[in-house]
Amino acid sequence: MSAAFAASLRREWRLLRARPRDWAMVSWVPLLAIALMCWIFSAGQPLRLPIAVWNEDGGSPLARQLVRMLDATPGLRVQAEALNRGEAQALLQRMQVYGVVHIPPGFTHDVKRGASATVTLLHNAQLATASSLVQRDVRQVVGTLSAGVQMQAAAKRGTPAQVLAVRLEPIRTQLVALFNVSTNYEQFLATTLVPALVHILAMTAGAWSVGRELRDRTLGQWLERVGGAGGVLAALLGKLAIPMVLLWGSALAGLVYLSQLRGWAVAGSLPWIACALAALVAVSLAAGAALAGITLSLRKAMSGAGLLSAPAFAFSGVGFPLLAMSGGARTWAEAMPYTHYARLQLQQWQMGAPVAQSLPVVAGLLLATLVLLALASAGLARARRLPQRWGAR
Amino acid sequence: MAAPAREEGFVRLWLAALAQLLRDQGAALLLLGAPVLYGFFYPWFYAPQVAQRVPVAVVVQDASSLSRQMLRFAQASPRIAPVLVTGDEREARQALLAGDVQGYALIAPDFKRDVLRAAQVVVPVYANGAYPLAAKQVQYGFAEAFGTVSAGVELRRLQAAGQSATQAAASRAPVSLQSVALFNPTEGYGSFVVAAVAILILQQTLLMGGALLVGSWREQGVAQADARTWLARLLALCTPGWLAGLFYFGWIFVWQDYPRGGNPLGALALLAVFTPAVAGLACLLGWWLAERERALQVAMFTSIPLAFLGGFTWPAEALPELLQWLRWLSPSTAGIEASLRLNQAGAPVEAVLPQLAWLALLALVGWSAMLVLGRRRGGGAFEAKSASSA
Repeated sequence: MSAAFAASLRREWRLLRARPRDWAMVSWVPLLAIALMCWIFSAGQPLRLPIAVWNEDGGSPLARQLVRMLDATPGLRVQAEALNRGEAQALLQRMQVYGVVHIPPGFTHDVKRGASATVTLLHNAQLATASSLVQRDVRQVVGTLSAGVQMQAAAKRGTPAQVLAVRLEPIRTQLVALFNVSTNYEQFLATTLVPALVHILAMTAGAWSVGRELRDRTLGQWLERVGGAGGVLAALLGKLAIPMVLLWGSALAGLVYLSQLRGWAVAGSLPWIACALAALVAVSLAAGAALAGITLSLRKAMSGAGLLSAPAFAFSGVGFPLLAMSGGARTWAEAMPYTHYARLQLQQWQMGAPVAQSLPVVAGLLLATLVLLALASAGLARARRLPQRWGAR
Repeated sequence: MAAPAREEGFVRLWLAALAQLLRDQGAALLLLGAPVLYGFFYPWFYAPQVAQRVPVAVVVQDASSLSRQMLRFAQASPRIAPVLVTGDEREARQALLAGDVQGYALIAPDFKRDVLRAAQVVVPVYANGAYPLAAKQVQYGFAEAFGTVSAGVELRRLQAAGQSATQAAASRAPVSLQSVALFNPTEGYGSFVVAAVAILILQQTLLMGGALLVGSWREQGVAQADARTWLARLLALCTPGWLAGLFYFGWIFVWQDYPRGGNPLGALALLAVFTPAVAGLACLLGWWLAERERALQVAMFTSIPLAFLGGFTWPAEALPELLQWLRWLSPSTAGIEASLRLNQAGAPVEAVLPQLAWLALLALVGWSAMLVLGRRRGGGAFEAKSASSA
């Protein structure tokens, strides 16, 4: 068995070195793609998002103060002024700004005479990330302005300053975001997208390296001196060993970069994340190989790999919570290996959960790998007996 | 008399290319099957649109009527569902680590007594920031529920100090903010993601299907042909692309009840230039790869980076400057920008002229390059014929 493994490994190495494009897809292309993902999110937190002000209270002091405060907020930039409803609408529809802050006529006057005034934020909810950041910052600015006005008014009535804060808000809700304090997107998205990308690349690599033997009618040559089911399994392992090491290494390099050089410290155990990552790459490669072994067609295996792996991130619960999904959709999501890996990584990286808690996840991924490898081997053993099926496109 | 004959000849060429496309099971599945499949598959996961009643815990260490009121208001919030009420903070924290709850609030001992003697009372709300979307619901849910209780206490205090009810309400919040969500009024997650991803699905399926087809032609040595044949092939490739585009804009958006139909004529204009731009790119990719299945391998993983370069989920302002330029090389960037403005925001066509012009330019460059690259180098007249009869 070990002879079959070694022979297959040597053969795969020779093939990869002789085929620059196959080699590229397991070596520098993954590294480049991972670097691109890290680069996309390198800003961490979107700053200076463009907004517009539609000020119907002209040069009144309070309105001017509000505009100044908005522009001084690091997350916002007052990029345009709308003079009327039409201009505000055009700015929003053209998506030149993420939101328009409307200051009503008589704003300062109303506030001065002790009535309340309402500032309206029209925001583009179709661009949800930007919209929620803009909402958060504008809400904060208006809250600060309002508190300032209230303090002044109360001080005029003779309420001492130290009592004021308590008077204003008897029960204050203090919002504490655990584990990702500043909602930093580099920490949240880059760290979860790198494994998602490698998941796709690994399933593709598994389907490609096995499927290509079928397409090129070289299955017989590959499994020439291999006997029995165990031999086929050993040859398969030898074939998948190189992409396994390369892809795992690339993904790990990405995570080490983010955790060590970008400073997104891992609260739990990085070695444990590395183990789980290896299990994810293994299960992805095995799934790709199984798709090729079952469909007996490189093209079908690749299509299947795309269908399963490409949307894996979108359905993993990292963005849209699993608990909000309907039963069937959630079942699909739970059946996908990336979903479990992503949860493990978030728990380890950000929440510092104990390793024991995610032991079943890694065990499950490994078990799934074994089952898929067995399926792939059985498929290949069958394919070996059906040379007339080779070469299917 | 020569012109109509030529016209008829071109239609025949186009039909022949279309027939070739349909006979290729792999290409047909990618070009027609995949967009339909994804149209049903992708929105499925986001069908509930908003994460409502996110499970939370409430740690109540004060047995008073005011604490019970806080709990009742939390239970009434549509955003959160207190599934665990306990006096032990450790228990709540463990539930959080295990993923059973996404956050918890802590009502400390002597809560009511402190409120009554007008001390500063702070109720901490811990949300799991590792899942930002759920964390937002937890924070807003608790903040709204407890804010209502707090406002009640404050109003009673102001009135006790001699203010009338309206006066009290005004001096509580002199300036308030009203948020109006435009274009996606329910702030649904599916409307936000799928409306934009639809363009990416259209691009990637056409790209893979087209490149697969051209890659096969290159393998078989039938790719080279005169300009008219290539025009017919490019047009044939646009046909399923346009159909899929109409299927998304005209049916999937309606069926899923996403914001839509802002400017239907503008959306047609977008499809008119977007599809040829992608078709040109697909042919160039297939030509370069010159191998049937290779396009699948190469294009598969690009969807994820392209989605985040598209500017809908990650603000383009936050991208490194070089990427802000490079992202335009993919038609999806201009396509997503234009589609959101036309379909979801109802902008006039003038608002997206730069995007449409850029897509038209991409199409022009792609098609011209293809006609030059793919031109027959002598004696290939029957290559095209043999391919169409193969």
